[in-house]
Amino acid sequence: MNAVVKLRDPTPEAAAVQRTRKAAPSDLAGKTVGLLDIGKMRGAEYIDRLEALLQVRGVLTRRYAKPTNTRTAPVPTLQAVATECDAVIIALSDCGSCTSCSTHDLNDLDLRGIPGVSVLTTEFRDAFAKQCGAIGYAGASVFVPHPMQNRTTAELHAFADASVDEVLERLR
Amino acid sequence: MEAVPDFRRHCPMSRANGILAFVKRECETCALVHPLLARLRAAGVPIRGVVQDDPGHFADLAPLDDTALEESFRHDIETVPTLVRIEGGIETGRVVGWQRDEWRDLLGDASIGEGMPAWQPGCGSKSREPGVHERLVVRYGDAGLASREIEVGEWDDPMEACFERGWTDGLPVVPPTDERILRMLAGTRRLPHEVVGRVPPNLAACTVEKVAINAVMAGCKPEYMPVVLAALETALDPIFTMHGLLCTTCFSGPVIVVNGPIAKRIGMNWGINALGQGNRANATIGRALQLIVRNVGGGVPGELDRATLGGPGKYTFCFAEDETDPTWEPLSVARGIAPGRSAVTLFQGDGIQGFIDQRSRTPEEITRSFAMSLAAVGHPKLCQFTNAMLVLSAEHYAIYRNAGWDRARITKELHAALLRPGTELVQGAQGVGEGIDPKRAGEAVPKFWEEGLLIVRAGGQAGLFSAILAGWTGGRFRHESQPVTREIVE
Repeated sequence: MNAVVKLRDPTPEAAAVQRTRKAAPSDLAGKTVGLLDIGKMRGAEYIDRLEALLQVRGVLTRRYAKPTNTRTAPVPTLQAVATECDAVIIALSDCGSCTSCSTHDLNDLDLRGIPGVSVLTTEFRDAFAKQCGAIGYAGASVFVPHPMQNRTTAELHAFADASVDEVLERLR
Repeated sequence: MEAVPDFRRHCPMSRANGILAFVKRECETCALVHPLLARLRAAGVPIRGVVQDDPGHFADLAPLDDTALEESFRHDIETVPTLVRIEGGIETGRVVGWQRDEWRDLLGDASIGEGMPAWQPGCGSKSREPGVHERLVVRYGDAGLASREIEVGEWDDPMEACFERGWTDGLPVVPPTDERILRMLAGTRRLPHEVVGRVPPNLAACTVEKVAINAVMAGCKPEYMPVVLAALETALDPIFTMHGLLCTTCFSGPVIVVNGPIAKRIGMNWGINALGQGNRANATIGRALQLIVRNVGGGVPGELDRATLGGPGKYTFCFAEDETDPTWEPLSVARGIAPGRSAVTLFQGDGIQGFIDQRSRTPEEITRSFAMSLAAVGHPKLCQFTNAMLVLSAEHYAIYRNAGWDRARITKELHAALLRPGTELVQGAQGVGEGIDPKRAGEAVPKFWEEGLLIVRAGGQAGLFSAILAGWTGGRFRHESQPVTREIVE
């Protein structure tokens, strides 16, 4: 990503370049967490399992879906999450365009006051960091193994089992 | 003695030994010397034209195309024509404009220029046109700025990037690029690294450079910088209590009143809609101060700015006083600044309370009328609890002026008219819990501290309307929080 414009920091530079993300409620029990499916194939299977695991932990859930992973979420979807949820989990990014767009969605929801975490595959760790850097936002992320498209449903569920605690931890 | 510039590193095109002639087609003096330069070159003198606009026009000078102005910038050319002699990669001589004797010295030929005038000044270099120099500094030089660079991605909108980083007051800001910051810094003689003070609530050190960055973002012109710097220094005077004013649950923010010649010079508004929108200087000077408090001080609403309701004046609230009527003593003069000097006064104020009186004809009537409205500042039953600013319009002032009342008389009479019996004001009186200490029931109670009522002249010529700005509740601590006036140093 080429930087075409350079600005100078108007602050005393006591903080990191990236904006700190919003803090989530310290206890999510009884709170509503939005599960935003970015529209990538197989992602729903991971989210299905994650949803069940959250519910077991007393977290209320609501499902949302983007029409395509290749664009940022439609504004009505973002508005709905902002209106109906206390926090959001965005899953599951395993490509360049979906990583970029879902990171913008994460940032957009944060600016609307909804803290969130993005779930991506390990291959896109750098892309997530770069996109956060370009936006200036210290987004939270959890990484599951790459690739995911050729996995069985059981394997995807296992990813959810293995990551749910980290997802909740990163939300806080 | 200045170091001799070494162009070997930066100027591959113009490092060769010889004479560089910086010229442009649109310059009459360049046209005057062009035939001479061409004859000298044809005769074997190692002259090359460095052409700022139209190299083809100087084809007989083996021209270097300097339409990008890099060579002109690196050689610090201010005037064309300029001759620069290069030997061993460094400059060993320079003549600016057409000066026959100096050209003869530089070129070592006492015969050149016969029949030409002895002297003709040159024209401005294109590299020195307004705004161009700063752009060239950014492109080819060292901007010399210390603040952290923030890179904005290729597909991102810089204006949105400022929003996303939390740098704005909710309205768009001008993206602070080096070019704009350098232009802003040209508005002050103070050095970029100089610390102006520590800005609350985080008490972060604020340099002149940070002031310039925030002034860019606010939309200021460079010529506003002395006012912005003075406003900031005034806000940081401990007696102004900017810290408490920022963090307060009250409505207030800093209200800036500008006096003196600078107000007219930078085009401020003291006339029609003086307290409203539409004038760049009024709007952006007040906004710059607020952005500094936000971005440098960390005074972010909802975090340490805890205003219950806030007010629109917290975006910006800055205006000039109308000093066009010689019978009126300016606010700054009344507060100790010498006449004819520029100054800022900062007042801890809320938004405006309109005052309407279209019937009173005498100074006594209008004074009683003002007192009725001023008594409502904060709460009608609270006294010596806030200060207040009365913005006196032209038509209301005319009632006083025609009766020979000046600022001092008006102030004195308003205080007298604002004395009320304590029995009506104590807590519980008139069936209202709020009020003054019951122990004061037997007193005639003044509404404001003696120095706590500021009067400013502003507004259009038509309209029997004035304005009252309630002060901040911090004003109840008479010796701890006060409005502050300071001279503007240019």
